[in-house]
Amino acid sequence: MVGGSLFIKLVKQLLPLKWKKQLEETGDIGRFTIRFFREFWRRPYEFREVVRQCFLLGYKSFPLVGITTFIIGLVLTIQSRPTLERFGAEAWLPAMVGISIIREIGPVLTALICAGKIGSSIGAELGSMKVTEQLDAMEVSGTNPFKYIVVTRIIATTFMLPVLVVTGDAIALYGSYLGVNIGDTVSFKLFYQQVFESLEYADALPAFVKSFFFGFAIGLVGCYKGYHSQKGTEGVGRSANSAVVVSSLLIFIIDLIAVQIADFLGIT
Amino acid sequence: MESVLEIKNLNKSFGSNHVLRNFSLTLYKGENIVVLGRSGSGKSVMIKCAVGLMKYDSGSIKVLGQEIKDLNAVELDALRVKMGFVFQSSALYDSMTVGENLEFPLRRNRPDLRKSEMDDIIKETLDNVGLYYAINLLPSELSGGMKKRVGLARALVLKPEIVFYDEPTTGLDPFTSSEISKLMLEMQNKYNTSSITISHDMYCARITGNRLVALIDGTNYAEGTFEELQNSEDEKIKTFFTHGLGKRK
Repeated sequence: MVGGSLFIKLVKQLLPLKWKKQLEETGDIGRFTIRFFREFWRRPYEFREVVRQCFLLGYKSFPLVGITTFIIGLVLTIQSRPTLERFGAEAWLPAMVGISIIREIGPVLTALICAGKIGSSIGAELGSMKVTEQLDAMEVSGTNPFKYIVVTRIIATTFMLPVLVVTGDAIALYGSYLGVNIGDTVSFKLFYQQVFESLEYADALPAFVKSFFFGFAIGLVGCYKGYHSQKGTEGVGRSANSAVVVSSLLIFIIDLIAVQIADFLGIT
Repeated sequence: MESVLEIKNLNKSFGSNHVLRNFSLTLYKGENIVVLGRSGSGKSVMIKCAVGLMKYDSGSIKVLGQEIKDLNAVELDALRVKMGFVFQSSALYDSMTVGENLEFPLRRNRPDLRKSEMDDIIKETLDNVGLYYAINLLPSELSGGMKKRVGLARALVLKPEIVFYDEPTTGLDPFTSSEISKLMLEMQNKYNTSSITISHDMYCARITGNRLVALIDGTNYAEGTFEELQNSEDEKIKTFFTHGLGKRK
């Protein structure tokens, strides 16, 4: 124990200030995460607020996710066709686009869009509630703001992101179907038959599972940044901004880890 | 007399800044204390410690006979229902209408009430502060004075025994500030509350306070009625009265 505290003191003295702050923030996020899991199991469960947040964060993000994934599906197909044609492999177009979308592009793109839309909105909302003392007002009126505000939003993002990913994938595939039909004529049934024949559970399952972690990261970072917002209105802007930056970065890190785990488990 | 709040030897520091030094204060049932002090003297910190929003370093705070630092989260929430808090910024929930701002604490703390009963309480409380007509407005549609009134109504909706007012007239014009001070007095009498008011407004202090406390250098430097402090020969006390003594009607 003495050795441990000496080591911490030594590290504190040797590290540059910027690194120290970074380390402290990492520790704070760790504590914030532990608090989330502790409060998650405690009553009251706030079902009503969770459903409301699922609507606000999930359902209201649907148009943006839908438009973006549709365009990506379409563009990916149009741009892949010339390369595949060069090898005489245009028949593989539905399969190639399908695998790309389901395995990687769909989850990561949807998560990045949600990091921008949901992460910034949570960061700004909580930041504004913090600096205008609304969180304190909630606490003095006998409501635990962490439970009511933070836990509900993290649950909502964790469970809504996979829903958005699945919906986004379906829309991207439809965009791809239209893209295929620009230079060729393929029936709806044949296109989807080719897509699903090329897909395996090993393609869809890891992508689906990692989207829960993407959602958790977006909610957690947005709430953390907003909940610890400081320095008035300037701090609110900074919270929203850093919520997007950090959660976007986390999405790529989680993606990298997920690929390694899937590879290790042989789910590839 | 029965005390509802007892603060003894309260100490609170922020780093090397020792804000409260052995601060002591007793609030009796039905009494309204106004705490005077310069900006940054620790007045708001003191009431935030009293409602458990801030942890204090040492000392004792007993609210309605219960020691704040001995309470767990559930017990503290139960005690907070008996306390109302009017924030300096009003702190209204900006995504909710005026009615919903009042309904929120009721719904959370009085699940035994039916919707119609809640509506009656909200109507009565808003009527008392003269704002029933604004029940469907959002906080962004309210003026500064209206926000303070709604903040006061929200603090009173659970019929608390103690109300804390954190600079209730700050940022208001002199006329609205007089109105709010009179409304506070009216509500204190109507709801039979005990209160602690943090204020720089001497008019507010004069009409709402039974007793004034001067918080200087982190301690309870002096206390007494408005007249007693006004006639004090102490230079530090005199400074409170040299500026801003209200003559408003």
